[in-house]
Order: sequence, then structure tokens, then C-alpha cells
Amino acid sequence: MDPASIQITAEPIDGSRCKFVVSQPVHAAGVRRFASAAEAEGSPLAAAIFAIPGAEVGEVIVSGNLVTVVKRGVTPWTAVGKSVGQAIRAALASGAPPLAPKAEAPVATADDDALYERVAQLFDEQVNPMVARHGGRVELIDVQDAVVMLRMMGGCQGCGMADVTLRQGIEAMLQQHVPAVKGIVDITDHTAGTNPYFAAAKK
Amino acid sequence: MLLPTTTYRTAAFVEAARRLGVELTVASERPSTFEGAQPAALLTLDLAAPERAAEQAAAFARRHPVAGVVGVDDDTAVVAAAIAGRLGLTGNPVAAALAARDKHLQRLELVRHGVPVPRFELHTLGEDVTEFAARLRYPCVLKPLRLSASRGVIRADDPAGFRAALQRLGRILEQPDVAGCGDWASRVLVEDFIPGPEVALEGLVVAGQLQMLALFDKPDPLDGPFFEETIYTTPSRLPDRAQAALGACARDAVAALGLREGPVHAELRWNERGPWLIELAARSVGGRCSAALRFEAGETSLEELIIRHALGMPLPSLEREHQASGVMMIPVPGAGVLREVRGLATARAVPLIEDVVITAHPGQTLLPWPEGWRYPGFIFARGETPEAVEAALRTAQRRLGFVIE
Repeated sequence: MDPASIQITAEPIDGSRCKFVVSQPVHAAGVRRFASAAEAEGSPLAAAIFAIPGAEVGEVIVSGNLVTVVKRGVTPWTAVGKSVGQAIRAALASGAPPLAPKAEAPVATADDDALYERVAQLFDEQVNPMVARHGGRVELIDVQDAVVMLRMMGGCQGCGMADVTLRQGIEAMLQQHVPAVKGIVDITDHTAGTNPYFAAAKK
Repeated sequence: MLLPTTTYRTAAFVEAARRLGVELTVASERPSTFEGAQPAALLTLDLAAPERAAEQAAAFARRHPVAGVVGVDDDTAVVAAAIAGRLGLTGNPVAAALAARDKHLQRLELVRHGVPVPRFELHTLGEDVTEFAARLRYPCVLKPLRLSASRGVIRADDPAGFRAALQRLGRILEQPDVAGCGDWASRVLVEDFIPGPEVALEGLVVAGQLQMLALFDKPDPLDGPFFEETIYTTPSRLPDRAQAALGACARDAVAALGLREGPVHAELRWNERGPWLIELAARSVGGRCSAALRFEAGETSLEELIIRHALGMPLPSLEREHQASGVMMIPVPGAGVLREVRGLATARAVPLIEDVVITAHPGQTLLPWPEGWRYPGFIFARGETPEAVEAALRTAQRRLGFVIE
């Protein structure tokens, strides 16, 4: 495959998170999350992103044609983004599977599966009825290594108070009701929200 | 953390609190749907009535002790002062915060203390303007007493222009989001237009002493007739002598208003007669602009400094990072409904550009100044020099295309 035929658009979410939209599927079988270079071993795409010098990549999340990268370093996305794009292109152009099959880890998987069920129940019974009052909805994407991946929709998508809902509401409820959850990752494209409940103005 | 539901500042402050490991309560004027489930994390306060909000906060604090309070805009700066006074927390006197919020009160205090401000007078909508339009010194600038982001600020060059500007400002002050906000919405400040470059000073007041954090140049001349801001770059390219005089002017203004603690954002002008204080607010820079500032070798955000200060935590170095930095508040390209923004990827690919953030959502009505007050987005750049940063910001903006119907 010609690497030049692969189109990638970087969409920074904030200073630490950036979503890369790829013109072709990267990983069709659900969501994969890599929380360290060690976990990415054997998955050329993720390993190459972790190896970007100076970026201090902390997480790589791959789902469909989206690659979400979380970094700790202060190097701007302009610099890091180009390297991420190169890594994605190289991995896809090589013809080899960009991600290794998910390792068999019965205990951890069972834990994540159990967590998924509990988080899904919490979302169905408490979180979504609450955000629905503002026309919002929160979709549970996956739970990997006890980290919840979610997407905000409707009135929550692009809402000026989305971070408050996420941290003071959803995360706090997870800490109370499902304390085994270690963190949450919001993979929402908030810039695409067409009907945010609260819109911001400069003050 | 007093976060009105319409502020751009939410993500930056919530993230800063997380980075500091601070237990956060977010108070807004409208309830979060999670408030019942998370009563320590979320609170509704009457942000339009500072003393009532302070009572509500005191009742909350009896159940959930409060260690510090931060306001993020002009109104919540007053509420924060009232809460700080009630709970004995670090903060400004309410009178000082009120004077900072109201442009007329502010000028009265500044003049009384000898701080250089434009000559001004206060008028009421509906007055017969024939007499004073004839005697005003032109050019002059008409301003509402409280609106932010230069909404409603209009320059007039002659009596006919003045009458037209006053009518236009009157219509803005009749808008539903303004008209019911109090007596101030029926008053207009008229002041001399001060020629010369304008700068924005970002500072932190600690025990009554202003620490200057950054001085931003505004390379696009703000000569009117409207005053939509565009580019901020720092460090300033003004001569050292001018920068020192502008800093001293801001320090005098802080002292004149009686501000004691917390962030300040000042707009000043510089010309052959020296510095002029145009506005001073008891809050940090608005919009998403604070992302242009980093401290302590790039590790610390402005919001982290503000939270640390409010909580009495040790402050790191207040020295800005070495690199030049800048932000462009993307000008509103025209009136209409935003359908699409094109060219984001190519704008982000411009060397030195760190980020392009579109804050307007598809379907949002865009309104140019002076009626408007919402930017469609922000562009950020860092580089070796402010000249290079400015050039990058302009190049990136040219690559954006707004589809408006």
C-alpha cells in the first residue's frame, strides 16, 4: 500500500489528548487500549507511537478508524502529531497487522468484563437518566485494564460544562459505585457537537 | 470554583485542579444534573446576587469545609470576594471587586488615586444627546458599564457618529440577556479615544502586591470603530521603558482599586504621554487565551497558579517560559449560521502552530462585533520570537474557511 494514499487528520482534544482520524480502518474488532510501551510490544502501530522521542506518550487507544493518543510531555501536538501520523502510515503500509491480537489474559479480561457490566448498569440506571435531563447521553465504549472509555453525545457533546459532568459527575459516581475503576477516558469529538446544552462565550 | 455555565474557562480550571490533586467543588448558577448525587462536588449558587451566594456557600461550607474560592469572570470575581469575606478565605474586598467590574466606578477610583485614564463621563440611555454630542471631544468611545469582550464598544468621530453609536449601543443593551441585569444596562460610559498601541497585562496580586506574569502586545491596531480583539503575543516588543511604565501603571491601578489577592487582567495603552489604564478586571484573561501562558519551564498553567494562590499552597516560579507565545481569537468571518469549518488540518500544519480550537459548534449563529461577543475559535502558536509567532497565527487563520449560511 502506498503510504501517501492514507489520509490522517489530527484533531487535538486538549493539550494532552489528540484524536487521529484515519481514512481507512485501523482496528475493526472493538477497542484496544495500550497503557505502556510494554503493553504495545508486538503491535507495531502502538509501539511506534510510544517510541516517539520527547512525546512521553502515556496511552494509545485504537478503535475503528480512530487512534487516540494521550501524552504527558509538553511538546505540542504540531510536533508530536506529525510523528504519530508517520507511525500510523508506516504501520498500515507495511501490510502486517498493525495491532497484535489481544493477549489472552483470562483473569484481567474477566475483571474488565465484570467491570464493564457494573459500569454499564451504572450508566443505564443512574448516569444516563441524569444527563438525559439536559438532552445528553453517555455511551460506554469499553473497559480495558479498569479504565473506562466513553463517548458523550447529544447535549453533552460540545457542552461548555462537559468537563464538569465528566469529572464532578460521572467520575465521582464511578469512584463511589465502582471503585475498582482506575480512570476514565473521554473519546468524544466535542467540536462536532451540534446541540450543546451550554455554549461558551468569552468572559 | 465558581464556573458560570457559559464560561470557556471550565476545562482549564477543572484540569488544573486535577493536576494539583485538589478536591474540587464546582459552583454554577444553574444546577448540574448530578448535583443531587454528588452534593460535595457540585453546588448551585445565585451568582447574580453575591451576598446571597455567600450565604449559600456558608451553608454549604458547614457540611463540606471550603479551603479556597476562585471566580473566573467579572461577576464571579465579585461573588468569590463575598464568599472569601464570609468564610475568611484568601480573596479581595467586595468593594474592590465591585469597582473592578464596573467601568464607571473603576474610573472614579482610578482618577481619585491619580492613575491615568481617558477623560470620561456617564450618560443614561434616553437622554437628550443634542447638547453633549455637540460639546464632546472627538474621537470618543462609547462603552457599556459591564459587558465583556468589548461587546457594544463603539468609536464615534463626530456628533452624527455619536448619535448613531448611541442608538446602536442602546439596541445591544435592550437584548434579553442584558436588559434585565440591572440599572447599569441603561447607562453608557463615554470617554476619550486614546491613540497608541494597546497591551494586555496578566498578573497575580499577592498580599496587595502585583506580580506581573506576562505583557501581551496586540499587533492589530484597535482603532475602532469596533474593538474585536484578535492577536495577543508575548513577550512584548515595546521598549523596556514603556513596559516598565505600563507595569507601574497597572500596579498603581491595583492599589487604587484596593485589590489584595488573585488574578488581574488589565488593558493599557501607550503613547507619547505615557501609559493609560483602559480597563482592569479582577480575573484572569478570558476565552481560551490562558493556554498561551506557561510557567516554570512550561510545566505550570496559569490556572494552577491561581488555584495554588487561592489555597495558600506554595507558589512556583512566576517566570513565564522562555519561548515567545501567542493566541489569535479568530475573527467572526460574517453574520450567519455556522455550517462547517474547513482547512483545520492545513492550519494546524503551519510551523509553530500548536493548536487550532474551534469553539463554535455547527448550527451556532455567529454575530460580528459590536453586537457579537463570541469568537468562533482560537489559534495558538509558540516560537523563538513574537514576530514569528504572529506570522504563524496569521498564516493559520488564512487557511481556515468558515461556511456560513
